Amino acid sequence: MENLSSKYGKTLNLDKLTSYCPGCGHGTVTRLVAEAIENLGIMERTVSIVGIGCGGFSHHYMDIDAIEATHGRSPSFAIGYKLARPDNIVFTYAGDGDTCAIGLGDLLHAANKGMPITTIMVNNTVFGMTGGQMSPTTLEGQVTTTTAGGRQVPHQGYPLLVPEMMRAMPGVKYLARESVATPKAVRKAKKSIQKAFECQIKGLGYAFVEIIVPCPTGLKMKVKDSYARCGNEMTDYFKPQVFKDETEQNDVA
Amino acid sequence: MAQETLFLKNTEAFAESLARCGVKYHFAYPITPATDVMKRMAVILPQYGGEMMQMESELAVSSALAGAACTGKLVATSSSGPGLTLMHEAIGFMCAAELPCLMIDSMRVGPGDGDILGAQSDYYVATRGGAHGDYHTIVLAPSSGQEIADIVPQGIRLAYKYRTPVLFVIDGVSAQTTESTTLPDYNDYSAEFDTTDWAFTGTQDHPKRALITGSYTHQDGFDMNEKLRAKYATIRENEQMWEQDQVEDAELVVAAFGIHGRMCRDLVSKMRAEGKKVGFIRPISLWPFPERAFTALPDSVKNILVVEMNHGQMIDDVRLSVNGRMPVHFLGKTGGDMPMNTLAEMIAEANRILGE
Repeated sequence: MENLSSKYGKTLNLDKLTSYCPGCGHGTVTRLVAEAIENLGIMERTVSIVGIGCGGFSHHYMDIDAIEATHGRSPSFAIGYKLARPDNIVFTYAGDGDTCAIGLGDLLHAANKGMPITTIMVNNTVFGMTGGQMSPTTLEGQVTTTTAGGRQVPHQGYPLLVPEMMRAMPGVKYLARESVATPKAVRKAKKSIQKAFECQIKGLGYAFVEIIVPCPTGLKMKVKDSYARCGNEMTDYFKPQVFKDETEQNDVA
Repeated sequence: MAQETLFLKNTEAFAESLARCGVKYHFAYPITPATDVMKRMAVILPQYGGEMMQMESELAVSSALAGAACTGKLVATSSSGPGLTLMHEAIGFMCAAELPCLMIDSMRVGPGDGDILGAQSDYYVATRGGAHGDYHTIVLAPSSGQEIADIVPQGIRLAYKYRTPVLFVIDGVSAQTTESTTLPDYNDYSAEFDTTDWAFTGTQDHPKRALITGSYTHQDGFDMNEKLRAKYATIRENEQMWEQDQVEDAELVVAAFGIHGRMCRDLVSKMRAEGKKVGFIRPISLWPFPERAFTALPDSVKNILVVEMNHGQMIDDVRLSVNGRMPVHFLGKTGGDMPMNTLAEMIAEANRILGE
């Protein structure tokens, strides 16, 4: 078999068969994370703490140490880990259900603590692994298996804008929302993910990147249609932007 | 810090003992009657190059504890009943993940928000576990400041030898008792154990490691459980701890842990002075329960009296251990201005049983 590490780097493990469904946005995000780790030369000291859900698969495709945390708790796991091993690079990787439903409290307190930790939240507006239930980021009117008539606001809540909640926190030093809807968006996402890791390497503080992705299986859509939705309805509401970039500060590490 | 004898609260004796025995990171959330542990840890851990990290809930406490434990470093937490309830998600996880750590439960009256008064109401949740699945937590119940200082090294060794959480339980009355304790010289007991063959420190140290407690195949779940079953059988076989006195010719044995166990020494000496054949067993490890102390009781023992600061929890394990050989009686209460039975009440109940 052709050795692909010269092309894709050592971090990305291409020998593993993917568990992601066809068209799933996780594949792109996982690759971008692996490439950021590779480019920054931190693979040997980087540890991935993943949540429960499809995002939990992500570490299988990277040759780095990994901890599968309890549901929603990866930010708290990361705080404990970083306190005990400050020289290691620790990032959390989970979907919108794990990160901002069951794990919102852990997430916001971790962000507010401002410890140098990186969080990647992959938002596909649905609980994917359990078969397409409403998550906090499910769009208004969106049909899921638990919102058969579409999500009704205000009774079922409004789609949660997570980075907007962190904007005022001084401990958050890099804050962005990206998407994988188009090749151009992917290139921007790549830049943001890399910056979120640089922020930690420099010891500046907490870094968070939300990435808007399609879930064709959970949404019961064709891959092409799910990408069109990602680039339209999803990103109309979840507007990709860099909210905050303080990574050009002097190193404090 | 060098060895010294201090007059201090037993919560503080816990903090001093943990720090002097190698704990570097302590995670906690304020709760009576356990707050004094984290307060003292916040002051003393920096002197040992460590840190006390206050979290936003006990749920976050236990999750951060698990994350820190993944590095192989010695980590601890302290709480009381309602906090312990919240921690169970991560306690069950750490048992499955085979992560060592130390935990303290300074027990108060439950259930619900309960009362801040001392109690022994968490026997069930400590020994049975409040999380899902077939797991056990090693539970140790010291009954004095000195026993705290003496048992912490043992707890660390058990946590690392078996790679499992160890929970110290103490009633809130003992926890807030101030007494003299000789604290040990600094010694990191976790350093006796090599963690490099399992700790998740990055591929700079080893090929990729992944901590997975979920099952990717059904066989994975079966294998994990069989591994845990074998480990728990070994712990049951080797780690039962108890104190006993004058059971050899006893007609009545009083069984109690923690503060009531400590009171049993006075009970036995007073009743023996009156010619009553009474002995006592004080379980120190609540899990594994010291069944052997009870199965070895001589035929002279006609009755057992269990005394607890609750409505009867450890009594179940005593009954399972004696397996119907003799009647097992109970004396206990929880809450109120005097949240426990007095020595006089214990002796009166013992006399009543002897007179039956």
